[in-house]
Amino acid sequence: MKTFAFAARSLRREFRHAELATLAAALVLAVAALAAVATLASRVERAIVASAAELIGGDLGIGASKALPPAFVEEARRRGLATNRLADFPSVVFAGDKSRLCDVRASDAAFPLRGAFTVLDAHGIEHPAHAPPVGAIDADHAVLVALEVAIGAHVQLGGREVVLGGEIGKSPDSGNLFRLAPRVLMNLADAEASGLLGPGSRAHYRLLVAGDEGSVAAFAAWAKPKLPDGAEITTVEDAQQNLRNAFERGESFLRLAALLAALLSGVAVALAAQRFARRKVEEVALLRCLGASRGEIVSALVLELALLALPACLVGLTLGLALQQIVLGLASGLLPGATPRLPWGPPLAAFAVGLAVLFGFALPPLLRLRDVEPMRVFRHDLGARVRRFDVLYLLPVAVGASLVLIGAGNLRLAATLAIGFAGVGLATSVLGLVLLKIVRSVAGRLRGALRFGLANLARRRALTLLQAGALALSLTALALLGVVGPSLLERWRANLPPDTPNWFLINLQPEQRAPMQQRLHALGATNLNLLPLAVGKLVAINGRAPDAAGFTDRRTRSAINGEVRVSWSDTLPAANKLLEGRWFSTRTTRPELSVDRMWADMFHLKPGDILTLRVGEREIEATITSIRGVDWDSFRANFFLMLDPASGATLPHSFVASFHLQGDASQSLAALSRDYPNISLIDLNAILDRVRDIIGRVTRAVSWVLGFSLLAGVLVLVAALAVTADDRRFEAALLRTLGAHGRQLSIAVLSEFAVLGLLAGAIAVVGAGALGSVLATSVFKLAGYSPPFAALTGLVAAAALIVALAGWIGTLRIARTSPMAVLRRG
Amino acid sequence: MSTQTGIALSAAQVSKVVDGPDGQLTILDGVALAVPRGDSLAIVGASGSGKTTLLGLLAGLDRPTTGSITLAGTRLDTLDEEARARLRRRLVGFVFQSFHLLPALNAEENVMLPLDLDGRDDAREHAGEALARVGLGARRHHYPHQLSGGEQQRVALARAFVHGPEILFADEPTGNLDQRTGAVVGDLLFALNREHATTLVLVTHDATLATRCARNLHLREGRIVEAAA
Ligand SMILES: Nc1ncnc2c1ncn2[C@@H]1O[C@H](COP(=O)(O)OP(=O)(O)O)[C@@H](O)[C@H]1O
Ligand SMILES: [Mg+2]
Repeated sequence: MKTFAFAARSLRREFRHAELATLAAALVLAVAALAAVATLASRVERAIVASAAELIGGDLGIGASKALPPAFVEEARRRGLATNRLADFPSVVFAGDKSRLCDVRASDAAFPLRGAFTVLDAHGIEHPAHAPPVGAIDADHAVLVALEVAIGAHVQLGGREVVLGGEIGKSPDSGNLFRLAPRVLMNLADAEASGLLGPGSRAHYRLLVAGDEGSVAAFAAWAKPKLPDGAEITTVEDAQQNLRNAFERGESFLRLAALLAALLSGVAVALAAQRFARRKVEEVALLRCLGASRGEIVSALVLELALLALPACLVGLTLGLALQQIVLGLASGLLPGATPRLPWGPPLAAFAVGLAVLFGFALPPLLRLRDVEPMRVFRHDLGARVRRFDVLYLLPVAVGASLVLIGAGNLRLAATLAIGFAGVGLATSVLGLVLLKIVRSVAGRLRGALRFGLANLARRRALTLLQAGALALSLTALALLGVVGPSLLERWRANLPPDTPNWFLINLQPEQRAPMQQRLHALGATNLNLLPLAVGKLVAINGRAPDAAGFTDRRTRSAINGEVRVSWSDTLPAANKLLEGRWFSTRTTRPELSVDRMWADMFHLKPGDILTLRVGEREIEATITSIRGVDWDSFRANFFLMLDPASGATLPHSFVASFHLQGDASQSLAALSRDYPNISLIDLNAILDRVRDIIGRVTRAVSWVLGFSLLAGVLVLVAALAVTADDRRFEAALLRTLGAHGRQLSIAVLSEFAVLGLLAGAIAVVGAGALGSVLATSVFKLAGYSPPFAALTGLVAAAALIVALAGWIGTLRIARTSPMAVLRRG
Repeated sequence: MSTQTGIALSAAQVSKVVDGPDGQLTILDGVALAVPRGDSLAIVGASGSGKTTLLGLLAGLDRPTTGSITLAGTRLDTLDEEARARLRRRLVGFVFQSFHLLPALNAEENVMLPLDLDGRDDAREHAGEALARVGLGARRHHYPHQLSGGEQQRVALARAFVHGPEILFADEPTGNLDQRTGAVVGDLLFALNREHATTLVLVTHDATLATRCARNLHLREGRIVEAAA
């Protein structure tokens, strides 16, 4: 058989005339949606990564306790990367008889590689800057206050006299909440010359690099095996926890939206293919009759599909890329900083997914055509027989599942969606069957058009269930995109209310606690949280000293090697949730401990385990009596470990406070730090702004992406309606030849769709609500989310109404054409 | 009668039983027949008597429940569907009551189908000639919906003869046509049949058409009640 010529001819004609156009449209939209969503998501993601890079000061950092061999810098430069060498160490700055312990950063002139660094000059004017020249330093306002000097003054650092050139304004890498002292920035050459970095110094060295993604990754791969002992690579992902949460959450949102678009397109393609296959039955029967073999039929079909798919995918790709460019243009400021280059991965993946969606969802109904019996040319009902289970039905399920798995990039999200959608499908089948039973018995007692409409549903049982399933799934996806998504985003934004603590105060002595509390109240501080803090070391877990070498996780190792911070409180602090066990009883005699979930997981701890902590001279053996979930997004002073108050009070400790101060508080806080020279104030406004900024950008990007995925949902609705459109058109024409009024036809169609819409809508409301709740807690980690059922019901009701209207409008067209024309074609 | 150069088609003890809603239903019962090469046979009978079912079995579209069918020397009832398809491609032509032209293809392409299926390169040329023979040379590029019923059936005739089949099966070829058009199509059918020396098996209601066949076979409730020469 001349398969290619035949396939090409069929495609040419069928495309101009009928159903294949729908299939192509579904495919174009699928690829367009995917390409736009995935490309946009990837570009926003990269922009966010770039913005997070500001927090570590570069795209990649290598930290070490000794200066890195020069080979590292040379290699980075050779690869075209910008480099910045830093050394951080504590040192005391003197001015006259005043002194202040500071966190000193010595840097070469390249600082900052990423992000903005600004200094205020003597007139309080802020301007962008690099590391100070040799002989000069910049310092935090707190240093000026403590030393009682002004900009331009001479101070001593590392035994040399340097000029205080400016006050540090904005600085990248301000993510460390527990910086104990104010910052000073000096030139690296000065530090090296002065002996500040000599033997015995506690300096932490860092090499930061920045450049294009590929070179950075290649450099990381090169550096990894050559790292000296104790050196570690820090990537953007390791950036500050709050930012990382924001970033992961944003990514999950984007992936969710893209995934829903892909699945919706898959359903659209499946429905269109179903309809196309039903149309093809006659033709296949004739070809079989004329002697075409099964193999020839299948290859002609596959070929026709391929001939359709390639150009459709290309058109979709072009459209999708154009769309995301338009979105970027319209939503100016969507991306922080410069727009990242157009990535090639996502559009190519969209193309591949488009092909997978087409063949995965369209092949099964088409391949079943090989079973069409040649006798069907005489008897039209032959092909309609219900077939036994076919392995082909597993193909769309497999393609759908792999889409979810690959697209989600997150097993939780994948599983939640897969189970959720499977549940919606199952519920629709079961409830649909029950409903059809009821409809069948009710329809018999009704009259005229209403009876005909409902009887239609019951008669086309398989098609009705298919249609109801597609409607329920697409309405669920629509509800997720249109209502649940935005309300989750709203909940996320609400995570950082206006009175989120923007200042930390540390090192407060116990006797200063009461007066400080009064003082802060007088300043108008709100959301004040004052907790004791003891700093110690983890000595043993269940009597055995923990071995850092036994853990690969960096945070676990640093918890073993470094300090641990412990607090205590009579009541469970705000932003903490008891997950296991009970809060301390007042009558406890033995020390008890409450551990954060993450920390417990890191060390595989459970209630009943005993931790030994050393604080100062004292060792304390505490039994774990509860596990807490801590909301680290809350910006309050939170602790991994909390002791019972009676045991805690016996330890040497200071206090930390977190509070919110409205507006520019620098004057009053300067006075505060003069009156309490031992305390340190930490300004969280910069990092809060950064997190808020990321949330804002991500929510804007997600809104756009959600809107676009909604379009895919609408297409599925249209495709779902078209499944029975041919049948209905034929029946309507038949009824009209029998003398039915247009009104009667409308009632028949409206009743049919109202029942369908009602069933699918009800399931969608429940399904989307339930999925939303699970997504909120298990994927987006947003506590206290409850799905807006009123809005869900409203949206789904509106969609069901549109469904009914669309069905009705479809029949209006028939009322205008002569029934004869339709009959002749059928 | 036609010259007896062999038997083109024969059936022995053919019966067809199908599963109906109320148990099994016997559609054909013990049908036997033989059609000499170049001969023409009309199968007549009331609607529902089993004519189409028998035609389908004779043409190898379906398998009998019992009995044997031999087409051009090959036993059909022992072949599987794919083998029967190959046989049909070479030996058989069809004309249907409802024409069954592919709406997606134009007249010429519809006629090309049997040749295309056989992988022949001269399909277009032969199709053009066949269309000219049925008087539709000028309508080559028209699509089925642009043709009248009679014209569509003439295209179907061109398609049925274009590859020179040995035997032609026609199921009520004039059933969907008015009397005048039906007569024209009938004339054309018999003329082509003569020209190609094709064996013809025809199912029809049309008494005048039936009498133009060399032999008639009457079916009633799935049994042959009368075979008339
Ligand atoms: N596959 C089938 N299943 C059930 N009944 C069938 C089937 N094929 C044919 N019949 C029945 O067999 C009888 C003969 O049908 P058919 O051969 O189409 O008759 P005719 O062509 O003479 O009108 C009819 O009653 C028809 O309903
Ligand atoms: Mg018949």
